[in-house]
Amino acid sequence: MKLAKSNRAVLGALLACSTAIPTSALAAELNVVLFAMPYTQGLDQLEADFAAKTGHTVNIDVVGQDVFESRITLSFTGKTGDLDVVHTPVIQVQRWIEAGWLRPITAEVDAMATKDDILAGPLDAYLVNGERWALPFFAETGMMAYRTDLLADAGYDKAPETWAEMLEAGAALKANDQAAIAMRVAPGQGFNMFVYPMIMRAYGGHFFKDYPTDLTPDMNTAEGQEALGIYSTLMNDFGPQGIGNFNFGEVAAAMQSGQVAMIVDGTSIIAQALDPEKSQFADQISIAAVPNGPKGRSPAIAVHGLGVPADAPNPEASFAFIEWATSEEVLTKIALMQAYPDFTRASVAKNPEVIAKYESIHPEFLNLKVQMLGDAIGHYRPLLPQWPQIGATVGENINAAVNGIMSIEDALATSDQDIADIMAN
Amino acid sequence: MPQYQGVQPVFQRNYNKMLYPAVAAVGVFAIVPLMGMLALSFTDFHLIKGWGKGFGLDNFLRMAEDRRFIASIGVMLMLSVFGVIFQVALGTLIAVGLEKIVPRWRFMRGIYVVPFVVPAVAVALIWLSLFTPTLSPINAFFDVFGIEVPAFLTSQYGAIAAIVIADTWASYPFVMLLILAALQGISGDLDEAASIDGATKMQIFWRITLPLLKPALLMVALFRFIETLKHFPLIFVMTNGGPGRSTQATNYYAYIQTFQSSNVSYGAAIAVFLFLFAAIISFYVAKANARLTDA
Repeated sequence: MKLAKSNRAVLGALLACSTAIPTSALAAELNVVLFAMPYTQGLDQLEADFAAKTGHTVNIDVVGQDVFESRITLSFTGKTGDLDVVHTPVIQVQRWIEAGWLRPITAEVDAMATKDDILAGPLDAYLVNGERWALPFFAETGMMAYRTDLLADAGYDKAPETWAEMLEAGAALKANDQAAIAMRVAPGQGFNMFVYPMIMRAYGGHFFKDYPTDLTPDMNTAEGQEALGIYSTLMNDFGPQGIGNFNFGEVAAAMQSGQVAMIVDGTSIIAQALDPEKSQFADQISIAAVPNGPKGRSPAIAVHGLGVPADAPNPEASFAFIEWATSEEVLTKIALMQAYPDFTRASVAKNPEVIAKYESIHPEFLNLKVQMLGDAIGHYRPLLPQWPQIGATVGENINAAVNGIMSIEDALATSDQDIADIMAN
Repeated sequence: MPQYQGVQPVFQRNYNKMLYPAVAAVGVFAIVPLMGMLALSFTDFHLIKGWGKGFGLDNFLRMAEDRRFIASIGVMLMLSVFGVIFQVALGTLIAVGLEKIVPRWRFMRGIYVVPFVVPAVAVALIWLSLFTPTLSPINAFFDVFGIEVPAFLTSQYGAIAAIVIADTWASYPFVMLLILAALQGISGDLDEAASIDGATKMQIFWRITLPLLKPALLMVALFRFIETLKHFPLIFVMTNGGPGRSTQATNYYAYIQTFQSSNVSYGAAIAVFLFLFAAIISFYVAKANARLTDA
């Protein structure tokens, strides 16, 4: 079939126009995969806002963390190009860069008018090999929440300040027939390996002899053994029944339902414990700094961001989504609608409504969070491509020690051996 | 004289052709992926580093020295053997009960089948909450009487028992349904004759019903055994492989190697091992079944 001359002219003109229109000007349909946390659940509810603002449609899929890992691995390795934006935990970013799974967004970030509003620490966490790989939406740190009434009954008018005092308080609470503390014990680099290094580093323990110059595994030291002993004692002697399989969900639930007197976890979990809508004892819960040790305080830190997969079909639209999703407007909205105090823009922290919300939960919450972020070290969990594997393996050994399946010495010696094997491969 | 005459050979040819789609489907969805996995197991593909140069038996030799892999076989066998024993025993007990002992309760079959239709992840979540002392209604009930129920998921054998219990709950209806079908194939005349000869119900069960059920029991046990080798959702949701590595069965270990450690080829080699293991067991069970049927 032949086209008439006039039709051919129209078709040619349309084709010429279509090539002249920038890709970003065309409406795109974006697929975004995130794992569940208050920010991502809030973002999921704002899909329509993005469509209204940009004309692009977006399908945000919020899944469990383990499901997320499998899904993005299959997508990345299969080079399917089915994802436009992906949740990018800072702890994974070096591994993904080494594998060539992420697209750098340096030029786009540097061209942002509001770049200076983003907190420098979380932003620079994604600066690897001179390139920027994601924009942060979440910077969480460690904190303690405690029941003022239960501690008062046990003779304490304030929270324990050191891990050694935690043991004493644990004994006092136990004498009152009260489970003292809950922390994550379930094995996993984002589970027990998010909280255990707070004790390990406070006692002078470490993963490597001299990170990052000497990467000889060195967990099995006197300091490491003391730290693991304290973690194990706190959990087994003063934790609730079944603590050996607790993850962050069970930790939050234990505090919200009044089953424990203290929790040490990330600020997103602490905020849930303080939330009167979720917590039965919110009015009797206060907050405190992560306990100290002989070598100081080492609050946990976790940064999460949004990145563009290397094979994303429409990178300009992908970045437009990331810029919108980490904008002051969106972060403020989510900070107000969710238990999300871990925003990454200075302007959000100055927003009167946000300040009022978190002051109503606890007057010191935002100040203490800033203090804990200041005390945290960037390489709290080593920033290595091998970390996800190391964290998973060491987490199993630490979990085995707490549950009495391995001795403390064996767990740490095995961890050293496992790390050496992983680094050698 | 030929077996078929007239139009029958034409039908016969057409019937053969009707098998082609099924054969093609098996080829595309079973044989090709299996061959792909087999080929991958001889290579050196790492998710991050890409293809290595090697092509050989390295992954299989590594399995022989891998303590975690060897330990995972022990876990897998414990989960499978205990799981199959409890599932077959419970499924058979209920089937015999409904068919022979209290046939008026046959209407209960539908209720007994309910766990079988619950998705595996939901099964895992149900039992995770039941085995988490701070969430469990069972613990709350016994707490009223001052009785402390042990925390299953924090001890090595407790966690294995928890997975076996959850799997038994979800899978006994499959056994029950197959055994019910087998029971209905056994003539009632045999029971009646034995009864006239003075045999008690227990004697009839042990001496007549059970021996006649042997081929069905063997096949159902084989089906369940192969299925339990593929344990994944219960471990993934309920224990995450823990405490320590206590519930890392071989299938779960293959997942860890593939997705956590990025050793795709080694993960494929473990999967090949599992396939061969299941094939060998199936071969011997099929042989035993043929012997029983012939007898």
